[in-house]
Amino acid sequence: METMESMRRRRFMQAMAAAGAAVCMPLGGRHASAQGQTLTVTSYGGIWEKAIKECFVADFEKKNPGAKANVVLGGPAQWMGQVEANQANPPIHAIMNTVGLSLIAGRKGLVEKISAEKVPNLKDVPPRFAEVADWWGACFDYGSFGIAYHRDRVKNPPKSFAEFIDRTAKGEWMAGLPTISYPSTEQILIWSFSDILGGGVDNIDPFFKAADRMKKNILWWASVTDFLNQLDSGEIDIGMYWDGRTWAHYDSGAKHIAYVNPKEGGVMNPVVVQKPKNAPELAWKYIDSMFAPEPQAKFAEMLNYGVTNSKVVFNAKLKERITPWEQTRWPPFEKIAEKLPEWTERWNKEIGKKG
Amino acid sequence: MRLWRRFKRNPEAPMLGAFVVLFFAFMLAPILIVVIVAFNDANFVAFPLRGYSLRWFYRIVEYRPFLDSFVVSLELAFASTLVACLLGVPASLALVRGRSRYANAIATFLLSPLAMPLIVLGLAFLFYLSALGLGVSFLSLLISHTVVGLPYIMRTVAGVYRGVSSDFEETASILGANRPQTFWYVTLPLIRPGIFAGALFSILISFDNLPISFFFGSAETNTLPVVMLSYIEHQFDPSIAALSAVQMLLAVFALLVVERIYGLKHMSAPT
Repeated sequence: METMESMRRRRFMQAMAAAGAAVCMPLGGRHASAQGQTLTVTSYGGIWEKAIKECFVADFEKKNPGAKANVVLGGPAQWMGQVEANQANPPIHAIMNTVGLSLIAGRKGLVEKISAEKVPNLKDVPPRFAEVADWWGACFDYGSFGIAYHRDRVKNPPKSFAEFIDRTAKGEWMAGLPTISYPSTEQILIWSFSDILGGGVDNIDPFFKAADRMKKNILWWASVTDFLNQLDSGEIDIGMYWDGRTWAHYDSGAKHIAYVNPKEGGVMNPVVVQKPKNAPELAWKYIDSMFAPEPQAKFAEMLNYGVTNSKVVFNAKLKERITPWEQTRWPPFEKIAEKLPEWTERWNKEIGKKG
Repeated sequence: MRLWRRFKRNPEAPMLGAFVVLFFAFMLAPILIVVIVAFNDANFVAFPLRGYSLRWFYRIVEYRPFLDSFVVSLELAFASTLVACLLGVPASLALVRGRSRYANAIATFLLSPLAMPLIVLGLAFLFYLSALGLGVSFLSLLISHTVVGLPYIMRTVAGVYRGVSSDFEETASILGANRPQTFWYVTLPLIRPGIFAGALFSILISFDNLPISFFFGSAETNTLPVVMLSYIEHQFDPSIAALSAVQMLLAVFALLVVERIYGLKHMSAPT
C-alpha cells in the first residue's frame, strides 16, 4: 500500500516534470523548425557560406517554391557527430563531408545511397565522383593540392613535386607543409610523396625519408590560413597548397602568390554531399541543385575550385586556374582511411617533435 | 645622482622593473598586433599595415552569422549563468554548513567538470542529451553550459561562505528571523561578492566556450566561437581580428562597469 508520503512525493515529481517540460518546450522548439518544407544544410564559414547560399540554396528555393534551406556553419566531424547522435531525427538534412568520413558514414548506416533517380543532375557527373564515396553520396566540388609560392622570393619555381623535395632538401627555400592534424594530410602529403617516390599506400617509407631530408627547411602548417600567414610574413617562401585557395588569395590583392600544377599531377580532394537517413525526401532536391550546371558554374567562379557537372563551361580565367579532374592524382581514400591510425602513430614517433 | 644612489642601495629593483616591463610587453604584444591588424585596409591579414580602414569592423555587422551568433552567445552566457547560480548557490550553502558525510563527495562531483576535457564533455552531452530527445537545440546548449559554469559559482560562493562566521545567521535566528529572512537579509549580502565573481567567470567561460558549443551548432544555435572558427578556417581576411578587438573592448568595458558599480577588489572577499 502506498503511503501518503510516497504519493505526495510522486505528485511532486510529476509536477516538476510537467514544469520542466513546459520550460523546455519553447527552447527545444528552435530545433523543431527543421522539418517539412524547411531543410538544414551545411557549409563552411566565410566565402563558402556566401557561395552555398547564393548558388545552391537560391537555386533550390527558386525551383521549390515554399521550401527553405537554413545553412548551419561548422565542419564535417561536428555534423557527423550530430547526425550519429540523432539518427531517428537528424538535425542536418544535407551534409558536406570528406571522402574518408563519407565512407565511414555509409558503413555506419548514417546516410542513404545516391542515384540519378533521386538526383537527376547526377547523370551529368562522371561516375567516378560517386564511386569514390561508394555511392553514399557524390562529390560536387574538388580542389587540387599542388605547389604555391611567393613570386618575389622564388624566381624559378619547381615544376614537379620531386623537384620541390630535392630543392627543399638542398635548402633553396623554407617550405610549408601540412602537419598531421590537418584533415587530409594523410592523402595530400604522406600518400602523395610515397606515391611519387616509388612507394604507395603499403609503403610510406619514401615519405618519411623525404621528410627527414627536408626537415631543416620545413615549417609545418595546421590550417589553410596558417600557410598564408607564414608565406606573407616571410617565414616560408613556398609550400604545398590548394589551387582554389591560392587564386582566392591572389584575387584578394596578394599578387605575390602563384600556383604550380606539378608535373606528377596535384592530389585530388573532393567534397562529398550526403543525405542522412530519415532526413526529408526534399533533401534530394537540394542535393540536385548542388549538381545543377548553373549553380555549379557560379560556385566555381566564387571559390576558384573545380566542380563536377560535365556540362559546366568555365570562362577563360577559370579554365587557366582550375585543374581538370582527369589531370589530378586520386588517392586510394578507403585504404588510406584504414591505415590512418598506423600512419599517425609513425608520424608522431618520427616527426612528432617538429610537426 | 639620486637614481644612481637608489640603484646602489637596491640593485635588484631596476632589474625587477625591467623584467615586469618585458613580461607585460610579451603578454600584450600579440593582443596589440591583433588590434592593429583589424584596421588593415588589405583584403588579407598583413603586418605591418599597408593602409588603414574601418571596413573590417563594418564586416562584423554585414556578415549575418557573426551578429546572429553573437546574440546567441550572449543569451546563452547569461541564461546558463542564471541557472548555474540558482543551482550552485544553494548547493554551496548546504555543502559548506552541512554535516553530511557525503558532503565532500558531492562537492567533488559538482566540481568535476573543471577536471574533465571539455571536448569529452561536449561529445558525451551530445549523445546523452540526444538520447533524452533534446537533440541539437538551445536547451541542450543551456544544460551543458550550465554544467560547465556551475563549478565556478560553487567555488567562489563556497570560498566566501566558508569565511563567514555562522554567528551572523545564528544571531538573526535568535532575533526572530525565519530561514528565508535570514538568507535574504544576512547570508545573501555576505556571499554576494562570491556570487558576483562566480557569475562573471561563468559568463566569460560560456561566452568563450568552443569545445562544447561545437557539438550543438545548428542554423539557429551557433555560438560566436563556432562561427569564428569556421570562418577563420576558410577565409583569410582581417574581420576576425576586428571581431576580436570588439570582444576585447567589450571585456574591458564590462570590467570598468564592474569596477565602477561594485569594485573589483570586493569580488574576492566579503565586505
